[in-house]
Amino acid sequence: MDSDQAALFEARNLSLSFGGVRAVRDVSFEIRRGEVFSIIGPNGAGKTTVFNLINRIYDADEGTMRFNGTEMSRVPGHRVAELGITRTFQNTELFDRATVLDNLLIGRHVHRRTNIVAEFLFLPTVRRQEIAFRSYAERIIDLLELQGSRDQMVGALPYGTRKIVEIARALCAEPELLLLDEPSSGLNPEETEDLSFWIEDISADLGVTIAMVEHDMNLVTAVSNRVMAMADGAAITTGTPAEVQDHPEVLRAYLGD
Amino acid sequence: MEVFQLLLSGLSQGCVYGLIALGFVMIYKATEMLNFAQGDMMMLGAFVAFTFVNLAGLPFFVGFLITLVVMVGFGMGLERTVIRPMIGEPPFAVLMLTIGLGFILRAVAGAIWGSGTRTLDVPFAGRVLEVGGVVLGYENLVVIGGTALLCIGLWAFFRYSRIGIAMQAASQNQLAAYYCGVPVKRVTSLVWGISAAISAAAGVLVAPVMLIDPMMGFLGIKAFAAAIVGGFGSLPGAIVGGLLIGVVEQFAGLYLPAGLGEVSAFVILLVMLMARPQGIFASMQQKKV
Amino acid sequence: MRFVLTTHYGQDVNLFRHNGQRFWYALLAVSVVVAPLFLSTFYVGELVLVFIWAIAGIGLMLLVGYTGLVSLGHAAFLALGAYCHAVLLGYGVPFAVSAPVAVAFTALVGALVGIPALRMTGVYLAIATLAFERIVAYGIEHWEPVTGGLRGMSVPQPDFFGVSLADSYVLYYVSLGVLAAGLFAAANLLRSPTGRAFVAVRDSEISAESMGVHLARTKTTAFAVSAAFTGLAGVLLAHRIGYLAPDAFTVQTSIQLLLLVVVGGLGSLHGVVFGAIFVGYLPQVIALARDVLPSAVGQIPGLELGIFGLILALFLVFEPLGLYGRWLKIRSWLSLFPLYRKATHKRQKAYLRTERVQ
Ligand SMILES: Nc1ncnc2c1ncn2[C@@H]1O[C@H](COP(=O)(O)OP(=O)(O)O)[C@@H](O)[C@H]1O
Ligand SMILES: [Mg+2]
Repeated sequence: MDSDQAALFEARNLSLSFGGVRAVRDVSFEIRRGEVFSIIGPNGAGKTTVFNLINRIYDADEGTMRFNGTEMSRVPGHRVAELGITRTFQNTELFDRATVLDNLLIGRHVHRRTNIVAEFLFLPTVRRQEIAFRSYAERIIDLLELQGSRDQMVGALPYGTRKIVEIARALCAEPELLLLDEPSSGLNPEETEDLSFWIEDISADLGVTIAMVEHDMNLVTAVSNRVMAMADGAAITTGTPAEVQDHPEVLRAYLGD
Repeated sequence: MEVFQLLLSGLSQGCVYGLIALGFVMIYKATEMLNFAQGDMMMLGAFVAFTFVNLAGLPFFVGFLITLVVMVGFGMGLERTVIRPMIGEPPFAVLMLTIGLGFILRAVAGAIWGSGTRTLDVPFAGRVLEVGGVVLGYENLVVIGGTALLCIGLWAFFRYSRIGIAMQAASQNQLAAYYCGVPVKRVTSLVWGISAAISAAAGVLVAPVMLIDPMMGFLGIKAFAAAIVGGFGSLPGAIVGGLLIGVVEQFAGLYLPAGLGEVSAFVILLVMLMARPQGIFASMQQKKV
Repeated sequence: MRFVLTTHYGQDVNLFRHNGQRFWYALLAVSVVVAPLFLSTFYVGELVLVFIWAIAGIGLMLLVGYTGLVSLGHAAFLALGAYCHAVLLGYGVPFAVSAPVAVAFTALVGALVGIPALRMTGVYLAIATLAFERIVAYGIEHWEPVTGGLRGMSVPQPDFFGVSLADSYVLYYVSLGVLAAGLFAAANLLRSPTGRAFVAVRDSEISAESMGVHLARTKTTAFAVSAAFTGLAGVLLAHRIGYLAPDAFTVQTSIQLLLLVVVGGLGSLHGVVFGAIFVGYLPQVIALARDVLPSAVGQIPGLELGIFGLILALFLVFEPLGLYGRWLKIRSWLSLFPLYRKATHKRQKAYLRTERVQ
């Protein structure tokens, strides 16, 4: 491992059980600044739960997490975006009865500087802020080519577009770390190919560090710097895509005994 | 000795709240819908029984059984015609719909049976049982006994009958139950039927104690409080919550300033929500992403 | 159909997107301002009620239509606003103090009621608000020395330089002004971060939180703002009816407010106005119908509420977007004719939305 590459995020000995199910057991890993870090593993391996832990939806039973050097194992859920981590969800969790643009503007929520009194009166500060929010949202719309559906209700969009809107919303918060939970699930091969270019753009142009859970090994191999394989809640191995793919225990996890 | 009588009438009133709450919770568990017309179903059941027993002159138990059958049909019909088209609409819409249904049922009952109060002819009216100096009204004992029998029957039904087990499966995970071959639609329909019948039974049981009129369904509001106090989503919790509220209400009515009995159910509810929002028997869980 | 060429984001932010819209709203404004010149006191009084319904409706719409939180007890906020204001006036507090205090007090109570909402799903909230309404009603009925109990209390009608709110025409312009300001403020809120946070909480709590929305604070804010609007409506209502008694604020009132937001169209401020007109005039239409109908039907007890219920049910099943949604469809039908396709406004259903662990 390169020791001169700084860790943006660091998890140490994370564990979480749901009743009798040990969803995550003693998992440690680090995500380095600027990389694309993928987590692979069979269904039920605990990948989403790791994201939910980072996102502070659950309290870890054990272990610590540090982001940018700050301890974040106990920060409240709504503070995670402020710290600089946003995410997408496996089955998309969008604001269905709002337009694409409004969804993206909610993505700017962490950057608001106005209070409710000013908002009631729509004072010039609020107007300026709205205009600034929009110009940022438009940048993301251009980046992910969402111009066509900009003013449509999200609930009415096709699944593939919804997944992209969710990424766009997460990006609007200007995160340092973007978590993508199965971004390609439900996409057709063409859309998946677009996605792989976008991931590269997000990483290169916006300088956002990406951690993703993904099943499509082509996508993983194409975009990832490092891959962590999980099975039964535990991390089996971490390395380059090629190393992890050929690891005997990874093969065993996928194929069964 | 007054204490025993208060306790008894509290328990019997609580049984009625509990039964309505039970119907309410059953529907919620099976369909995630809130039926705010549950109290009005009770009212309707009482009037149907009144029609068969008083007007048609059938023996009480025959009239009672017919009422249950009619109400199962009513519940299933309601589900089929009004509720099923609402599947997939936001929960708020369904809740509002059932509130609207409640008003409609009240107006319909008023149109058919008039707005005056009616008395259901029951064989045990006015009789009392004296045990060691305590005078116990038969009506109250019948409510408690009837509720106990009904609960045992329901328990056995969910535990042993095929369709009861299917219902349990469907209420835990509709999609999985569907894949396992449970006829989810039919089960849902039946849940509404049974729930309506339970409410009707509550109506018949309570009729000798509180008279029948189109507005009696308002009592349902307290039953909803009971459902939450018990721990929403738990069937035994519904009954326990009902009993608790019934008893507290009686004692508060006697020992606290005027009218506090009436609102004690709501005070208990709000206190419960602050202190232990999951209720006595916790059963709700967070959504998984 | 009109395409607006957006040349600057500032334009997107504006309330009115183009001059045509401005023209129609200006016309509407002029007609409501001159209307009293042509109307009798009775009709002016009825319009005042519509305005008051609309102000309260803004409050409930923000809560139910935008934040997705249900309240079955909004009559309590109306009552709190009205009683607080009337009681303060009774103690000789000037109007300019008592009205804001009444609104602030209602907002505070609203925030407190919102607290249980922080930890629970809609089920609990619906019932908790119902319970809250019953407790407030109990308080009003039994706190005789202050509220007059079941007998009620008369509302002092202060006068300002010779004009009094007891005068329907004066109250008309005051209510109209308050309504206009209220709609403006609500529209502003909805195009700002707080309003969008409401929508986020309504559509997906989990992702709202992951985008940095503080759920508890947002819900409390929604409740407080909602209660404040409704309390403000209560203040005006006190002057409109002149005499407060518990039977003016019942479960029925709460249901009428819900009818307003559903029939008007959930999630739209236009809907509030449509709904207020509907709810304001419905009782009169029903009263007229009673005279026409055979007495056997006209005399049915609970007929009015039954009809409320029926209309509510019909809207929910056939037109969940409400009157405003219907109007939008008619408008797009007219502008697209003859190209309109039935599927243009096809309903979106979210199958299998569940709050439970699967
Ligand atoms: N909220 C929850 N309650 C109970 N069990 C859960 C919950 N979330 C996840 N699990 C369990 O934890 C395990 C890991 O799940 P998950 O992280 O979703 O796996 P995946 O790797 O497919 O994303 C599974 O057995 C799942 O059933
Ligand atoms: Mg997963």
